[in-house]
Amino acid sequence: MNRRMLITWGVALLWAAQVRPRRATAAGPLMIEMKGSLRGEKVWFVPLGLAVDPGAMIRFVNRDAGNSHTATAYHPDILDRPQRIPNGAQPWDSDLLLPDEAFEITLTVPGVYDLYCQPHEHAGMVARIVVGRPGQDPGWQGPPAEAGDLPEAALAAFPPVDDILAQGAVMPGPGEKT
Amino acid sequence: MLRPIPLLAAGLLLGALPLLATAQTAPDTAPPAAPFQKVSELVTLPDFLPGLGTLYVDPASLPAGPFLGYDHDGKLSATIYMAPLEDLEGGSAFNDLAVGSNSVTSVDIYYNAGHPGVEKPHVHVVLYHDMAAKARLAE
Repeated sequence: MNRRMLITWGVALLWAAQVRPRRATAAGPLMIEMKGSLRGEKVWFVPLGLAVDPGAMIRFVNRDAGNSHTATAYHPDILDRPQRIPNGAQPWDSDLLLPDEAFEITLTVPGVYDLYCQPHEHAGMVARIVVGRPGQDPGWQGPPAEAGDLPEAALAAFPPVDDILAQGAVMPGPGEKT
Repeated sequence: MLRPIPLLAAGLLLGALPLLATAQTAPDTAPPAAPFQKVSELVTLPDFLPGLGTLYVDPASLPAGPFLGYDHDGKLSATIYMAPLEDLEGGSAFNDLAVGSNSVTSVDIYYNAGHPGVEKPHVHVVLYHDMAAKARLAE
């Protein structure tokens, strides 16, 4: 193998390492931002789907200058909502965050965690975090099959688990600005 | 022949009409008197909302308002109404709403996905009270 081939292979490997879907590690907090359009016509989480390893710390930050948002787990203990986090996982509610305020959680139980913004659930402002992988992390729990009392806009906004695992992070559609 | 006093009164009334047409119905500078309260002290929202300003509302008038929007210098710049789509679709109407100022230079109407205080998706109707108000409220 000559020098030119070595360089070519090196560049190819570097490129593959950059584009390969990677799960976030627990090394530092991972960011999920709350955003909205200038006049509040649209509101969303960025990313709206995220794959992480067990033990990852997630930081929610409100980047919407004109609105307040929450990051709230679907769980009967919080506003009597359907459970959409794994059994045994600790539910959370950030309460309303003003612009640039933040809230952190650490997720240890493997499975799918669905969350929403309290004032904007009816506008479809939800997100999904996948902790660990099915078949790899013991006790991994997928999302519930039942819709419960969730509004249609929220149900339609959850990205598929497979997409999250394949991409590492799922971004909002072209209608939103990331 | 009109008597002097009624003539004087009529003259004063006629002279006052143009003033009445542009009279303030809310204070030109913040804060407006009770029952108006600062929105950011009623719910968790920023003091100044880009596009709307520092808002005051009579809680009894929710959700429609009027909301009074003041700029960074405390000048009354807009009156805002918020009408939930669900209510409008259900046949509700919001009639005879008060206006912060009778001077209105332009009106914007647009959709809002909701926010603390008016969580349901709704329409904002924004009455700007002078030509530069929109720019002053922008950010």
